[in-house]
Order: sequence, then C-alpha cells, then structure tokens
Amino acid sequence: MTNIPIESIGVVAQPRPGAPDNWRRFFSFSTDHKVIGIQYIVTSFIFFLIGGLFAMIMRGELITPDADLIDRTIYNALFTMHGSVMLFLWTFPVLVGLGNYLVPLMIGARDMAFPRLNAAAFWMVPVVGILMLSSFLVPGGPSQSGWWAYPPVSLQNPTGNLINGQVLWLLAVAISGVSSIMGAVNFVTTIAKMRAPGMTLFRMPVFVWTVLAAQLIQLYGLPALTAGAVMLLFDITLGTSFFNPDKGGNPVLYQHFFWFYSHPAVYVMVLPVFGIFSEIFPVYARKPLFGYRVVSVSAIVITIVSGVVWVHHMYASGTPGWMRMLFMFTTMCVAVPTGVKVFAWVATIWGGKLRLDTPMLFALGGLINFVFSGITGVMLASVPVDIHVNNTYFVVGHFHYVIYGAIVFGIYAAIYHWFPKMTGRMYYEGLGKLHFWLTFIGTQLNFLPMHPAGLMGMPRRVASYDPEFAFWNVLASLGGFLLGMSTLPFILNMVSSWIQGKPAPANPWRAIGLEWLVSSPPPVENFEEIPVVIAEPYGYGKNEPLIETKHSEELAEPA
Amino acid sequence: MTSELSISQEKEAAVVHEHDEAGNSMFGFIVFLLSESVIFLSFFSGYVIYKTTTADWLPAGVAGLETREPFINTIVLVSSSFVIYIAERFLHRDNLWGFRAFWIATMAMGSYFLYGQAVEWSGLSFGVTSGLFGGTFYLLTGFHGLHVFTGILLQTIMLIRSFLPGNYEKGSFGVEATSLFWHFVDVIWIILFILIYVWQ
Amino acid sequence: MNIRTVLTLAAAALLLAVISFWMGQQAYSWFPPQASAESKLVDDLFSFLVTLGSFIFLGVTGTILYSVLFQRAGKYDFSDGPPIEGNITLEVVWTAVPLVLVIWIAAYSYQIYDQMAVRGPMELVHLHLPMGMESAYAAPTEPDSAAVADPLEAIEVHAKQWSWVFRYPEQDVTSTELHLPVDRRVRLMLESEDVIHGFYIPAFRLKQDVIPNHVIDFEFTPIRTGKYRLRDSLYSGTYFAAMQTDVVVQSPEDYRQWLADAAAQTPTVAYNQAAFEYQRIIDKALIRGWKSIPPAPAPVVNYPGIGSRADEGLDSEK
Repeated sequence: MTNIPIESIGVVAQPRPGAPDNWRRFFSFSTDHKVIGIQYIVTSFIFFLIGGLFAMIMRGELITPDADLIDRTIYNALFTMHGSVMLFLWTFPVLVGLGNYLVPLMIGARDMAFPRLNAAAFWMVPVVGILMLSSFLVPGGPSQSGWWAYPPVSLQNPTGNLINGQVLWLLAVAISGVSSIMGAVNFVTTIAKMRAPGMTLFRMPVFVWTVLAAQLIQLYGLPALTAGAVMLLFDITLGTSFFNPDKGGNPVLYQHFFWFYSHPAVYVMVLPVFGIFSEIFPVYARKPLFGYRVVSVSAIVITIVSGVVWVHHMYASGTPGWMRMLFMFTTMCVAVPTGVKVFAWVATIWGGKLRLDTPMLFALGGLINFVFSGITGVMLASVPVDIHVNNTYFVVGHFHYVIYGAIVFGIYAAIYHWFPKMTGRMYYEGLGKLHFWLTFIGTQLNFLPMHPAGLMGMPRRVASYDPEFAFWNVLASLGGFLLGMSTLPFILNMVSSWIQGKPAPANPWRAIGLEWLVSSPPPVENFEEIPVVIAEPYGYGKNEPLIETKHSEELAEPA
Repeated sequence: MTSELSISQEKEAAVVHEHDEAGNSMFGFIVFLLSESVIFLSFFSGYVIYKTTTADWLPAGVAGLETREPFINTIVLVSSSFVIYIAERFLHRDNLWGFRAFWIATMAMGSYFLYGQAVEWSGLSFGVTSGLFGGTFYLLTGFHGLHVFTGILLQTIMLIRSFLPGNYEKGSFGVEATSLFWHFVDVIWIILFILIYVWQ
Repeated sequence: MNIRTVLTLAAAALLLAVISFWMGQQAYSWFPPQASAESKLVDDLFSFLVTLGSFIFLGVTGTILYSVLFQRAGKYDFSDGPPIEGNITLEVVWTAVPLVLVIWIAAYSYQIYDQMAVRGPMELVHLHLPMGMESAYAAPTEPDSAAVADPLEAIEVHAKQWSWVFRYPEQDVTSTELHLPVDRRVRLMLESEDVIHGFYIPAFRLKQDVIPNHVIDFEFTPIRTGKYRLRDSLYSGTYFAAMQTDVVVQSPEDYRQWLADAAAQTPTVAYNQAAFEYQRIIDKALIRGWKSIPPAPAPVVNYPGIGSRADEGLDSEK
C-alpha cells in the first residue's frame, strides 16, 4: 500500500479553470488530458464559428437565384472552406477533445497513454487552421475544388503558382491527418491498456466503446486518404499523371481513395455522438441503458461495415452495375446496427422518469434528427433514387441533418452535461433551453427545405440557380441565419457560467460513472486511488455500487 | 487476511499496470505500423489497378525494368532482417559490443540498399512524369526508400543511445521498436519487389 | 399484455399506416413532371420508401414524444425508473425486422434498376466482371413498345467548361439544346473535354457523370413532350452553376422537322453564360473575384437555341 506513488504526492483539489492563477495553462504545452480536452473543444468551437460565418455568407448569396452577392470564385472558395473547416477543424477535433477529457476519467486512468503525443497532436490543430485560412491571402485565393477536391478540377491551377490554395489545403489536410493518427494511436492504446482494475470491456461506458470504434476507423481509413492526397499533391506540384486524364491518369481512382476514408469519416464523427446519447439518456430517464452489450457491440459492427460502403458516393461516377448493387446492399446493412441503437435508446427512455434538462433536450432533439437523416440515408443508398438525387440539395439536406442535426446536437448535449465536471460551475438552465429551441427550429428551417429543392432537381454547390427553387432557398437562408444567432446564447451561457456560475457539486446529475466520483473539476491526477470497478456502467434503479469501497472485506470479484 | 492480501496485491498490480510505459509504447507502435501498412496497401492497390487498366503501360522506349541489381538489393535488405535479429539477441544477453557490431552491420546493409536504389534511379531512362508507369514506380520505391531512410535514422539514434550508461535499465523498447520497424520495411519491400519487378 | 394495450397499439399502428400511406402518395408531388419512362419507376420506388420511412419515423418519434409528455419525473421525485436492462426477444426482433426490411428494399431497388437499364452496351470500367443487370428496357408497359425497343442512333453529348454541345451525327447537326423525340428509346454518347461533368435531367430522374477520356453510353426513353432543364450535376469549377441548358422533347414529326431546319442553318456562335460573365469581368463590368480558369469559347453550332433562362435574369440586374 505504501508504495502507491500518488499518496506521497498528495491530492490537492485542482484550482478552478479560469481562476486568475491558472488560465495560462490553457495556452501552454500542457500534457494533462483534461487541459488538452478543453483546448481542443474551445479551439474547435472558434473554427465552428468561422465555418458558420462562411455558411451564412453562402446562404446570403443563395437567398436570390442569381450570383449577385459575391463572385462565383468566392462562393466556390467559401463552400470549400466551409466543408473543410467544419470537418477538419470543428467536428473531428471537438470530438477528440471530448474523448480526451472523458475517456481517461471514464476508464479510471490518470491520463492518456502518451501525454506528450497528445499535446503534440492538439497543437497541430491551430497549425492546420492557420494554414487553411492563410490560403485566403495567396494569389488565386483558397482551394475552390470543394472539400472532396476531385481531380481534374483540383488539378486546374489558374494562377500557375506553386504555392496556391489547393496546395495549402492539401498540406493542411495532411497535417490534420498526422494529428488524427497520433490521436487514434493514443486513444486505442489508452483504452486497451490503461483501464482500471475490474474495468472489463463489458463494463466500459458506451462512450468509450464508441470512441474506440471511431478511432479504429481513423486508423484504417485515414491512410487511404493520405495515399490519395500524396498522389494528388504530386500531380499538382511535380506533374505526375495519377489522376490527370490529359496524361492518361484515372480521376475516378481518386474518388475511391477519397471515399474509402471520407465515408467512414462520417462514422468517426457520429459514433462518439452515439456514445454521448447512450450516456445521457440513462441519466435523465433514470433507467439503465437498454441492451448495453448489444449497443456496445453494434458500434464495432459499424466500424467494420463502414469499411465496405464507400462506393455509394459514386453511383453516378461511371461505376459498373455490379458494384452499384453490391454497395447498395452493404450500405443499407449499416441501418441494422444503427437501428438497434435507436430502438435501444427509445426503450431506455420509455417508462423512465424523465427530466428535460438542457443536455436531455439536445440529446432528444439529436435523436429525432438522426432518425430522420437515417431514413433519408437509406433512400440515398437505393441506387435508382440516388441516381436522381445524388449531387442535389437532397444530399446536402441529408448530411446536414446528420452532421448538424445529430452530431452538433450531441456535442452540445455533451458540453452541457459535462460542463459542471469540466469547469466546476453550473451553467444557466434558462439560456440553455433558449439555445436548444433556437437551434432546433433553426435546424429544421435550414435543412428541411433542402430536401424538396433537391427532389425538384437543384444541384448542390451552385452559386446561382433557377428561380423555381427560390422559395425553398429563402426558407433555408432564414434558417441558416437563425442557426447563426443560436450560438449567441450558448457563448453567453458558457462564458458567464464559467466566470461566475454556481459552483458545481461532484455529481450534479446523480449520474453513475467514474468521472462523477471525483470532484468537479477533477484533481490533476484524476483519482486519489485508482478505483476497482465491480459493476456494469448503467446501474440506475439497482442500488449497487459501481466501485469497490475502500478496505472492503468482501471482494466482489478479482480484477 | 487473505482478502487484505489480495487487495494489496491488486493495488500493486494496478500500479505496475499504470507504469507499464514500454508495454504501452510497443502496443501503440504496433497499432501505428498497422495503420501505416494501409498507406502501402493503398499504393499497391492503386498500382495494380493502373497496371491492369492502362493501355500503354510502359512509356515509349522503355522495355521493362532490369531485375538483377534490384534482386541483389533485395537479398541484402531481407538478410539484414536476420542480422538485426541477432543484434537484438546479443542485447538480451547484455552483450553490448556484440549488439553494436550486428546493429552497425544492419545499418550498413540498409545503406547499401539505399545506395543501390540511388544507382538504379540515376540509370533509368524514364522519370516521375513518364506516364502512370513512371509515376507509380517512383512513388512506390521512393515512399519505401523514405521508410528505409527513417529506419537507418532510428538505428543511428539507438546506436548513439547504447553508449549512454544505464540506457537499458528501463528496458529496450527503442531497440525493439526499431527492429520491428525494420522487419516491417522488409516485408513491404518483398511485396513491392514482386509487384514491380517480378510481375512485369 | 392486456387486451386494451393490444387494441391501443393496433389502433396506433393503423393510424400510422394510414398517415404513412398518405405521405407515400404525397411523395409523387415532390418531383418534377414524369418525362421519361425511368422517372415513373424511380417515383414508385421513392414513394414506397417514403411510406416505409414515414411509418418508422412517426413510430419512433411518436414513442419518444409520448415519453416526453407523460413520463416526466415529478419535481421532487428523485427515485429511479425500473431497472430494465434489456429484453432478448425484443432485441432479436428489432435486429431481424430491419434486416428483412433492408433486404426487401435492396431487392426492390435492384428490380427497378434492372428495368431502367440506363447503361448502354458499353460499360465504362475496363474490368469485365459479371454483369447481370443489363436486360429489359425501361418501358415495356408503354404503348409504343415496338418503337421503344429500337434505340435511336447515338447522339453525341460534348461537355466542357462550361457548355453543353449536342451533335446528331447522321445529319451532322450541332446544337446547344438537346432535342429528343418522344416515346423512342434514346441513346447518348457522353464525352467530356476537360474535367468530370454530370449529365443530369431532373425530369427524367437520370444522371451520369461524364468522365474525360471515356465515351459513356447512356440510354433512356422520354415519354412526355415539353421543355425541361439539363444541369451539370458534378461540380466542374468556377461557372459550374451556369452550365445548364434545355432539353426539348418533341413529337417525332416536330423532331424530324427541327433536325432538317437545323441542318439548313449555318453555324453561329451560341450564347454562353460562362463566356459572357467571364468577358464582363475582363471588361470590369462585374466585381472580380479570384482568378479563374477561362471558359472555353462560346460554342459555334447550327442551332444556338434561344439563350438560357439565367441570362435573362442577369441582364435585368444591371
């Protein structure tokens, strides 16, 4: 007992983040996973606002049919940057941030497996951001080939300069990829090797399962994108002919490399959100997660199945018929493990004792949006329907329901739910509810009209369109501006609560989980003594302890 | 009494568990190598697709690749995998000079491989822009060569470190990881050699 | 389960089914007119998916909404709900039912795709792997099925940044508008001169990427006379959004007449939105953005059409 090092250090409650003596650590090369987690979340939120600003300018352009507000090249650059910033600088990093903060706490570890690697991975994110946004300053402007950067369009270089928007974009994506791989190695090692005694696989919270599932996708998927990106970079800079049809190259092969990663990338983003839903519903419904083991395993099933669905983005790309049919079936199969999760959440909520606090509202709203997007997703998987709606606003509507409706809602839910833990302060419930309703209404208004516009045949990525689509676009633009406004109560809430909110107890939600057993905010090394886990993670209504109490006479089971 | 004992054993196990940094590092390194192999897999599948679907695969005036020197190169690189293994065995028996001798031999063999490849590159009549054949050839061999170079760099660091007193008291993770990396680079080369030189 | 619960559930399911069926019927009105034989097939499939999807969506959200409305915790009720951790039967059912549904949807989609057979005899990809789905033509139910079964000689479609040019090889007629005869199987040869474009006619529910260095065979059957829009669907650079033109489906007599008239005309420069805007930027009549790839010169064709719809709007702007 005496040789436990932490006891000699002594546990001092960590000063509150935001207190004048220690706010500087958020700007330092800290190796504390909790600091890094918050660094990720705050940094990526700034990029979320930037990406949102781009979206609002685009919605301003689209409020009228003509290309009249901004030049077409600027519009094209904006949608490229909107997609790239939102994916590489907001959704990926914010989820890595939440995982960073929560995973070690949830599995009973003092930190991630590789703390310095963790910090290095984080500090690449601002570099990626600066590189990407600096492309606004080079001659020719940022990349205008979309976040998918299909050749030959991405190979066309109007200025002829070597340093152009497209090259900067590729470099930024490459650095982001290195950062993600470093993060993925760290997460997988942490989850595999750093679990507290008694924390068997089937005692891990679902959030940990889903982070594991998501990071495994990063590990097998990202290298394929890297390979494609390297070849594209050589085509642009060295004049090779991999994807250049003028020199006998095959531009469609790039699409395979790109989507082999970029479709599973959606699961990298949505899986941790499934985890968040699975954490939040039991707490606010006061019931165990329904079918915990099945929900956990279905995350891994999604990891595997998502590796063989990528061609559904390419039904119209001249893909042979057999491939269209094969990938139609595999894509639809994703609906099965996903459906299992949805039904499990509904069953968890059913018959519970619900409390509609802000995290629960966001989780419920996110679930409803997700069900909707899942149904349109199955429609898109069907080849004949997809041949009509592929590359139309129907697709834009569908994936914004996924990415905004489900993922961003899940992220908001998580931020509210764990805000007391992270900051040691309570947020203001009223502002939270206002934020929810603005976001929920804004989401429907912004993204629902995109579906009819797409069904009528409005292509995506257009700076101008035929007047018949004006009605739906006006609605969508209003929704877009409303979504922009909806971030204001959130920012106000977060900043003011962090500075002067009511101090939070260790477990304000009466939630079960290792992270709720430590103080808010947690001490530097998380646990005074590494807990010994003796139960599954969602024992609501069962009155059984999650961990062994100190000096217990009866050991429930060996580790 | 027994439960008290098992508790304290468990606690100790937890402490050991937590401080098994070398074990974590090796695990993480293996995960990283698995991920890295997907890049090669992507390049290989790209190569296969290009080769099977391109009408004029070889650039004008190129008959094919010379296989004799690359084959010698292959023998050298593959044998170095055994040499590095012997070096590792010496380290396990705490024979530092034996370790260093075989370690340096590995580095020499790796360097010979790189030299051989440089000679081959300089003698070729086609360049990286000579169609898909030229592009994929230089991409694959270059990307692999970069890995060989990284391997030699890591070996150099490990060699220098071996002169630090007490370097191996905390285990030999660095040497083991470098050695694993070297085997990885070898296996990749065997596949690459078959794809590019044997399958012409 | 008592009889009352069963009845309530049955009534709810029935109500949902009726609403879903109604939604499925509404789905037909969310599309442009059905101008090709293929569009009918796609719309039927989509209506089926909407029916099914509505049922699932309303079922799930209805259940959640019921919980939210009627299963709230009392203000001072800090007790937990029942500790139900799962139900194997239920879990098996809700894994099996989606699986069956998915297989059903996939099979139905396959069948529809098989009937559409929009790919002509030439497959794009060189790897000749088993192809089981190039069989019946899309319109066996159409009255003129004899005429339908014999596709027209291939019309060449040339896509470039940023214009469409159609060439009728038999008469050596070029046009910036695509004219097609009604109720005839039509065959197109899609070609691109620069980047990947997307050939998309919403009223036909058809789309195919046009890939440089490949000639893509594409077949379908227009069944309704009228004027429809043809749009570039795959992002192709600066003036992508302006790369639109009209498709005119005519009676066979009108079509032949149009071909004869067009053949008699000497080629003239057609209006091209991209070239027009690019010139205005050069002339500094429009605000300049970043440097763009210059558009190809406006095409010179026998039949230059009557200008696109978008330019009318633009001319009135300044």
